[in-house]
Amino acid sequence: MSEDLISIIDQKATIELTVDDEKVSVPEGTSIYDAVIGMGKTIPSMCYHYTFNPFGSCGVCLVEVEGKKAPVRSCTSPVVAGMIVRVDTKTMFDARKKAVEKHLQTHPLDCPVCDADGHCELQDMSFNFGITQIGEVKQKGLPEDRRSTVLDFNMNRCILCAQCINICKEVVMVDALQFFKKGGFTHVVAKGDSALECEFCGDCLAVCPVGAITNKFSKYLYKPWQLTKTVTACNYCADGCQMRVEVTDHTVVRVTSLLSWKDKWDDHAATADGHGGLCVKGRFGFAYINSSERLKKPLIRKNGALAEASWFEATAEVAKRLKAIKAAHGPDAIAGLITARCTNEDLYAFQKFMRRTVGTNQLDSSARYGHASYCAAMEHALGAAQPTVSFHDVTFANTVLVVGSDVTETNPILALRIKDGLSNYHAQVIVAHPVRTNLVKLAPFPYTIAVGSEGAFVQGLTKAVIEGGLVPQRVASEHPTATAVLQTAVASLSWEALESATGLSRETFAEAAKAFVSGERRVIVLGEQIVNRPDGYQNVLRVADLMLATGMIGQPGSGVIRPCEENNERGAVVVGAMADRLPGGLRYDDPAARARVAAAWGGSLPSGGATLAEIVDGIRSGRIKALYAIGENPLGTLPASAGVREALSRLELLVSQDAFLTDTGAMAHVVLPAALAAEKDGTFLDGHGRLQPVVRALDAKGEARPDWAIVTEIAQLMGASLDYTEAEEIRRELLQIVPAAFDAGPAALRDGLDGEVALRYAQPAVAADAPSSEYPFELSLYQVLSHSGKMSTRDKGLLEIDAKSRLQIAAKDAESLGVVSGDRVKVSSPLGSVEVRIDVNGDLPHGMCRFPEHFNDPAVKDVLPMWVDPVSKAPAFKAGRVRIEKVVP
Amino acid sequence: MSLSAALNKVFFGEIVKGLGLTFKHLFEKSITQQYPHTKPMLPDGYRGIMSLLKYDDGTERCVGCALCEIACPSNVIKVVSAEEPGRPLNRYAKTYTFDVTRCVFCGFCVDACPVDALAMTKEYEWASENKRTLFLDKDQLLAIGDRNFPLRGKKPEYRGSIEGDWYLTAVKAKAYPKQAEKP
Ligand code: SF4
Ligand code: SF4
Ligand code: SF4
Ligand code: SF4
Ligand code: SF4
Ligand code: FES
Repeated sequence: MSEDLISIIDQKATIELTVDDEKVSVPEGTSIYDAVIGMGKTIPSMCYHYTFNPFGSCGVCLVEVEGKKAPVRSCTSPVVAGMIVRVDTKTMFDARKKAVEKHLQTHPLDCPVCDADGHCELQDMSFNFGITQIGEVKQKGLPEDRRSTVLDFNMNRCILCAQCINICKEVVMVDALQFFKKGGFTHVVAKGDSALECEFCGDCLAVCPVGAITNKFSKYLYKPWQLTKTVTACNYCADGCQMRVEVTDHTVVRVTSLLSWKDKWDDHAATADGHGGLCVKGRFGFAYINSSERLKKPLIRKNGALAEASWFEATAEVAKRLKAIKAAHGPDAIAGLITARCTNEDLYAFQKFMRRTVGTNQLDSSARYGHASYCAAMEHALGAAQPTVSFHDVTFANTVLVVGSDVTETNPILALRIKDGLSNYHAQVIVAHPVRTNLVKLAPFPYTIAVGSEGAFVQGLTKAVIEGGLVPQRVASEHPTATAVLQTAVASLSWEALESATGLSRETFAEAAKAFVSGERRVIVLGEQIVNRPDGYQNVLRVADLMLATGMIGQPGSGVIRPCEENNERGAVVVGAMADRLPGGLRYDDPAARARVAAAWGGSLPSGGATLAEIVDGIRSGRIKALYAIGENPLGTLPASAGVREALSRLELLVSQDAFLTDTGAMAHVVLPAALAAEKDGTFLDGHGRLQPVVRALDAKGEARPDWAIVTEIAQLMGASLDYTEAEEIRRELLQIVPAAFDAGPAALRDGLDGEVALRYAQPAVAADAPSSEYPFELSLYQVLSHSGKMSTRDKGLLEIDAKSRLQIAAKDAESLGVVSGDRVKVSSPLGSVEVRIDVNGDLPHGMCRFPEHFNDPAVKDVLPMWVDPVSKAPAFKAGRVRIEKVVP
Repeated sequence: MSLSAALNKVFFGEIVKGLGLTFKHLFEKSITQQYPHTKPMLPDGYRGIMSLLKYDDGTERCVGCALCEIACPSNVIKVVSAEEPGRPLNRYAKTYTFDVTRCVFCGFCVDACPVDALAMTKEYEWASENKRTLFLDKDQLLAIGDRNFPLRGKKPEYRGSIEGDWYLTAVKAKAYPKQAEKP
């Protein structure tokens, strides 16, 4: 238990009671159930779950309390001083048995066809109590509710425990389910007895102790005992959820969470940091692993077309051609890209291959357009390219500031921590976002700011803190110059400019600043809309200023976190699979670190290097002649204005190593089939830098192989001494070079930033592009809950849940354009135009429109400009100004 | 040596006695079975090759619960279950494979089956030069059932979640909006 929790409990008076002749003291307000469980005893219970308040519906958790005639439901009865409780008595056993029998009287004999069979609490209870006679039976005979896309509700099997309703209301805070009486029976239905349309996290499915809620994607396909279960890490976002991948033979049948009704029996302490659930992607997005579109054999282009080849041919071909290009044009004619969805071991092997075997530092990963700006700015300001708090700190923070992030959509499980703090630990949550997001609706301090004004909002907050005299004394004495410089710097910002940029008044800033400094432990959650924009790097520095002004630097439990979109973006930084990072996450130009890596590798490190945008430019100019892309699909990701298609067509050798044939793969000379995360061993680093084991759950599809193994083989064929036979060897090598590679170090303010602060505030923080009459709309590409990158669009299940490639526009704008949902509009920018269907979204502000970044049909991304940050080299390409016109059919 | 013993030796008394018994059997009813020309009478409860059964309306009994698979001590059975195409809410065995070469004819699977879909027949003539003929699939097992148990049990009327046809006709449009949309 954390110190915070202990301190909360310590504040309460303790009460003494007797349980089965044993005396115990518990804090006031504890239920009898919790008190007894805390002693290491068990009370059978069917509606209790540790994640929400007791509900008391099943009537199984009975105990005897002296002085009371009838047995007492222990989960809902608080302890009273001097209470004498008896748990293990024959009378209580019989009373509980009666309660279970009562459930069975209305229960169908569905076990053979029930998906819960073998993992059913009612079965276990009946077995444990030895129930053989149940007396009069009354079958419900209700039809199964199959209206939802994802979950089926079979109310014959429901025991009305309300766990599904409670977890949805209290933990996930979606509140999509309710009890509903119809035809003489109580049902669990979606709100308003309609088809369920919710976040589809599936936590209700996980806690349902019986087979009343079933998963449509796995329905009838298994019995729990037929499945091989492997605990591994999720491959979508960087929340780092551990999940159980359950497979038969060569097929993933279902994914389950560590959260389940079983948790109240097992030692749930292992999952107690976080509730253990999953989001829709993790739980229902597993079909892509089984997809028939997966690449099963290597492909080599022969006479203009890709034809199947053997591994031996393919790797030999790649090695031969890379060697020839290197010999003819030097190592800098070769570049490499790798996705941050790969394991640390893949990333390490690849960067070593590029730097040692090929001999070039023209190497980048997808963390470039995700995590790079944050890392570069944080390293600059605080000397550490890492998040400065853990997920755990988010739960226990006194104040959470969420800016530029729709965290419920992008990182749902992190969002649950914020919600946990909100409902259980009285956290002050401040959200600044142009859209009325889910968190804006829940937070006590929601601020709707103008589109693109996140940086200005942070500056305004800093100004309000300083001018409101809220800077702690400690800060001024510890960092006197920095404070003084910051003070004069914010003085140069005018309130009028900030007010007009953000649309918030001065008083609002003062209120937000007060709320923000009200607690000791403060966490700032930075989203894509503040970091991944043209001024993103500067915005992160502005956040560092706010941290300095409010004394967050060096304060335990306080700090900043940038939840990543792809699962292993932290890993890409830490392992050094980027042109500006060495293994260990240190800067590539850090001489001491360079020397250490070079010595360990027994050779020198290449100088120079190129990042993503520079690589694309290099290919276009003809300087780079070969590209080795692992899981990266620049053609599908970057906008047309980046000129990727033209560049790729000039390559002498394009190798695409992926699980699927991507747009880039279709242009490649050699395509190598790669194994997915569920098919290999390794590790990920999640969003706050915790190492997550990745465990192979099933054999790779066809002849696909792990990325590190393919890279190793090509390196060997090129005559290098890369020699790994399992992923663990690679990890060991990294840890030998940088023993603390995976540990997050402390962050402290760097010296010598003072002059820069003044400079930074001399420039106004406003959106890069001001609205113009020609292009009145701000278009942004955004992430939706059910998808992650482009990978999830290979998933049949997730596409069933959400395949809406529609442009969302505000209700007011739709009205003035004379369009309704489903109409086609033409979106144009100086870079081109595209026709797309629209969806009207009432939560959007006037003048903003957005399109899910996961879909390329139509290719809305191609009308957007690309802008590369001069310092972090991170390309920003997800926002721009457009014009929208109605298309007359 | 006594006289009788000597006579016995001279006239091969033992052999005469033995042949006498043999001759006596010439006039008795033979008990040797002329297999394969005559077939043995099998007792009830004989445990021959396994079969899958159907209901009187010709539908399969098996609901794909895989309890036989888990009950089998020698890994004979493999059940792959699924929702029956065209009959939503109906669980069935998509494939059912039975490896006769491993079966020890214990009958545990028959006991385990909750819907009496399995029965052991009195068929035993399955010797083969090709082991592969002894891996039976669902159709083969159903065929064995058909020829051995021509009298089929009546299908019980399920209500609710197992069958649900009564319900489907009534609320199909509501519960299957996607299917209803299709022309
Ligand atoms: S919920 Fe449990 S007891 Fe009920 S039919 Fe399913 S497996 Fe059997
Ligand atoms: S559906 Fe499941 S979790 Fe919900 S009330 Fe019924 S039995 Fe409980
Ligand atoms: S996508 Fe992220 S939040 Fe969802 S299950 Fe995976 S790791 Fe967890
Ligand atoms: S008879 Fe026994 S050994 Fe043969 S399939 Fe059935 S359970 Fe298995
Ligand atoms: S036990 Fe019976 S119903 Fe279940 S799979 Fe085996 S044969 Fe089919
Ligand atoms: S656990 Fe107490 S009533 Fe259900």
